[in-house]
Amino acid sequence: MTTDQFLPMDDKSATAVFAANGIDVTPRKDQGVFKVVRRQGLDGDRPMIGDKVTVHYTGKLLTGKKFDCSWERKEPFCFNVGKGQVLKAWDIGVLSMQRGEVCSLLCKPDYAYGPTGNPDKIPPNSSVVFEMELLNFEGEILTADGGIMRRIKVKGEGYSNPNDGATVDVHLEGRCGDRLFDCRDVSFIVGQGEDKGIPLGVDRAMDKMQRGECCLLYLKPKYGFGNEGKPEYKVGPDKEIVYEVTLKNFKRAKESWEMDLNEKLDLVSGVKTKGNQYFKAGRHHQAVIQYQRIISWLELECGTGMEQHKKIQDYVSTAHLNLALCFLRLKEFSQAVDNCNKVSCVTLMTSARLHPSGYVHLLLHANVSPCACVCLCKVIEHDESNEKALYRRGEARLLRNEYSLAMADFQKVLEVNPFNRAARAQLSSCQSKMKEHQEQEKKIYANMFQKFAERDSKVCKLSFLG
Amino acid sequence: MMNEDKVHEIIQRWRETPEDLKPEDYQQFRDVGAACLSGDDGQQLLKFIQDEKNQGIVKSMGCGLLAPLVDELVRNKKSHDHCQTAITQLTKTCSSRTLLESFLELIEDLDPGAISETILVLLPHLQIVLLQLDENRAAGVGLVLSALHKQLSRLPVPYTQQQEEADEHGLCRSCVALATFTRPFIDGVKKKDENCNPTPEDEKLKAEILKFCMLSLKEPLLEAELNQDRKSTLWLFAVEIMVILPAIKESLPGLLFFSSLRKSTSMDTDLSKESAACLAYLLFVQLIAMDTFPAVFSPVFILQCNMEHINQLLSRKKESHLLKGLALFAKSLEKVEDNSLPVGLLDLESFYSAPQNLRQVLTNCPIQHLRESGLKVFQLFINKLDAEAKHKFFRCMLKTSHHAGVEGYIVNNIRSQIQSSIKGEANKWFLGMELLPLLELVLSLPRAAETDLLTNMDKIMESLNLLRCLLMKDKEMKSDADIWEELCRIKDEYLKVLRVCISMSRAYYSAEMKVLKEEQKLRVKEAKDHARSTRLLKTITVKNDKVTHMSPEVQFQVLQSALVTFDLMESLVVRIDEITEETQGKTH
Repeated sequence: MTTDQFLPMDDKSATAVFAANGIDVTPRKDQGVFKVVRRQGLDGDRPMIGDKVTVHYTGKLLTGKKFDCSWERKEPFCFNVGKGQVLKAWDIGVLSMQRGEVCSLLCKPDYAYGPTGNPDKIPPNSSVVFEMELLNFEGEILTADGGIMRRIKVKGEGYSNPNDGATVDVHLEGRCGDRLFDCRDVSFIVGQGEDKGIPLGVDRAMDKMQRGECCLLYLKPKYGFGNEGKPEYKVGPDKEIVYEVTLKNFKRAKESWEMDLNEKLDLVSGVKTKGNQYFKAGRHHQAVIQYQRIISWLELECGTGMEQHKKIQDYVSTAHLNLALCFLRLKEFSQAVDNCNKVSCVTLMTSARLHPSGYVHLLLHANVSPCACVCLCKVIEHDESNEKALYRRGEARLLRNEYSLAMADFQKVLEVNPFNRAARAQLSSCQSKMKEHQEQEKKIYANMFQKFAERDSKVCKLSFLG
Repeated sequence: MMNEDKVHEIIQRWRETPEDLKPEDYQQFRDVGAACLSGDDGQQLLKFIQDEKNQGIVKSMGCGLLAPLVDELVRNKKSHDHCQTAITQLTKTCSSRTLLESFLELIEDLDPGAISETILVLLPHLQIVLLQLDENRAAGVGLVLSALHKQLSRLPVPYTQQQEEADEHGLCRSCVALATFTRPFIDGVKKKDENCNPTPEDEKLKAEILKFCMLSLKEPLLEAELNQDRKSTLWLFAVEIMVILPAIKESLPGLLFFSSLRKSTSMDTDLSKESAACLAYLLFVQLIAMDTFPAVFSPVFILQCNMEHINQLLSRKKESHLLKGLALFAKSLEKVEDNSLPVGLLDLESFYSAPQNLRQVLTNCPIQHLRESGLKVFQLFINKLDAEAKHKFFRCMLKTSHHAGVEGYIVNNIRSQIQSSIKGEANKWFLGMELLPLLELVLSLPRAAETDLLTNMDKIMESLNLLRCLLMKDKEMKSDADIWEELCRIKDEYLKVLRVCISMSRAYYSAEMKVLKEEQKLRVKEAKDHARSTRLLKTITVKNDKVTHMSPEVQFQVLQSALVTFDLMESLVVRIDEITEETQGKTH
């Protein structure tokens, strides 16, 4: 039996036919979506809300006219089910399907294209029929590195999510394998879950959850308890864990625009202290969140009067410096260099104003980020904290194998503070690494020339393509 | 200069010992060829290349002739036929790899004055060479496409219709030729996709073609002015790109809506963001490839995803970007029902920053038609928000815009919301308790009694108007005594400060006026008394530096109109007082 047998027909007879052969799948049983199963799928294997589902489908009007078809495009269609990405009828219909199932859905206008329809394709107030096959589904990946996967058991309401700094009330059940190791009601501040023994992955998933949502979070060790494990829960190192989280309630933190400058300045020192605490405890991911809040609040503020201006700048540049340090520890070197460069850009504004004559001259000497180097050089004369900036940028560059740039940084550190032993040590390690590197390169090149000589006659000029 | 015998002797040597050719020989061969062409002896060169006996020489050194031949073709139309034949012969005889390398070098050093001409000559031959390539074809195609794109991006994108039709720099022609150029490679990929599993080489080719598409979307398409009714060359090029994408199995929803979690590609994020934004524009505004786009996405989801693209487009200060951003914004909003967008959406980053960028366009953009269509989109956006979302958006704008024009516009919107909730179904956001915090933001002067009334005029006039309307609807407003009482308190506070402000401003401007009049009198007198004006100059510089560059007549007008404005404000304040008294009279 295919849908073609039913079509064409009018609304009434369509409803009658579908009602006779299938079931009303709407939660309210208002006959908005009828489903007739054409082929049974795998029993009990159903997608959950938020899952990334893959389907093939054909959409037809009741006249039999086809208006959309993924089979014709030869490309299955993917979306996250149950999240309002597609027609209402689809979210309801697909959630009722099993893996491999084929069905027909009769959808009333309210669950499909509504009173307006779709220009050129669907007339106003049309019921439509979809023939659908559920090919596959999998949990929703929340981070680019795939470290957190979510499957939603109960959908939350609305669009609003807790942001960083929001207070959330949750119910948690943590499992490792089949063993339940943590089960409690707890309230915490997003970004500071660590304080309540909540793993990073749960904390980071909060801003994707809605009020009332209950979901399963599958966490890779990086987002769980890492390589230390958690002895109090008897979770060993490098374990994958699963949390069931119910977001009972939350109160969002104020957006940057909702606060005035004084309010921000009042809060900022607390945030900074929090970040420093995490840093000292080796919780670099958590520290990053705090420092980034400072920057998001203050980077566009300039304040009134020199004093306030300077205060803001101090906060921002310290935050960048600290971020740089965090990223160094997390081995995110490009971000570390980025942040060091930003420190300098902020300070640039004041220092360039103080010494306009030196400005152009120094620009000429700058090799990587002109802005950054200008202020780095300028600030050496005044500000002790930028000895740190130089040092940290040097460190970052050394790790990225940019030896000569790193050396320049460490040398500048020594110019500011000849007694900086760490810099001196780094400098010598720079030199030895550079030598090592050169030796290695020499070897590579020597081989290369030899190879070239051998292959020369064979005409293989395009080898660089391979 | 060598004589003929000498040349023959050398050629003879090349024929006999093709295995020990030196770099000097390559150079010499090239020089001889170039000399032939410049001496109008192209015919002879062709004969030489075609000669069976010379195939050994051509095979090893022929590539050196490409540059002079192409050069000749571009410069001299007369020698067209035999030069073309010669190049074709070379592509048959020489090794594809060497040919490709020579072509790449050629593209690299293109004469900036003849970019499109040269590219048009090169493309057919390049295509043949690449198709002959057995290994690393994908990499070769990638190198060629990005080299060509780099050259094309140096050409100016036509701005007007005439410019596009004239196509003086040949950008449009080259783009179309480039699309034709890619076709056989795409067909190859497509055929393989149907028959068997694609090899890594195929995947690589797809990636290279995708990269080319993304580059083309950014340049020239993002810069170009496109119009569905006028299917110009660049519009057709856009269609080509939109046909290529599905052909290489890049789904449009994947590129537009689900790109954030894609495996990191070789492209930098800025490029892919701008390209995706242009793609969204071509699809949703120009409706290119719309018939192949799934019809099952919900309008709110499309708006939500497009908001990222809109934000990207509106954040640039270029006319072509802003134009596309505004059009995409309008199109995405049109599909959504009025009063339907929930407040939670405003928590999304893009729903905050895109309207902020739009506000920047309204207040800072020097191009009038953009400001006008921007305002339409701004109103459309407000219309689509539900009551709670409108409330939040108004608060946000009043707090962040720092621009009396925008604030006045928002106050005007608040008034119409209050009016429609009085007429229709009452809601707490514009008629209940929640109205008060909004009113408090409206009825405030940024610097209390020292506020500059002239720059804030737009907001103040709208606010007074709003107050007047509220007080006239006293019956509805008084239904909740607490709200009415609080409203009166806010009103009294506001009017008190405003009155002080008006009288201070009036006093200041009247004084200025007086000084100006005195000066004028003085000047007339001085002009009579002395012919010299040295003292006059001095008195002018003493005055308020804001208006010094104006003539006294203009200054007079400015001051006059300022005073009129104050009168207007005051009369509104008086009117409000009257209404207050009337309504109080009614209750007692």
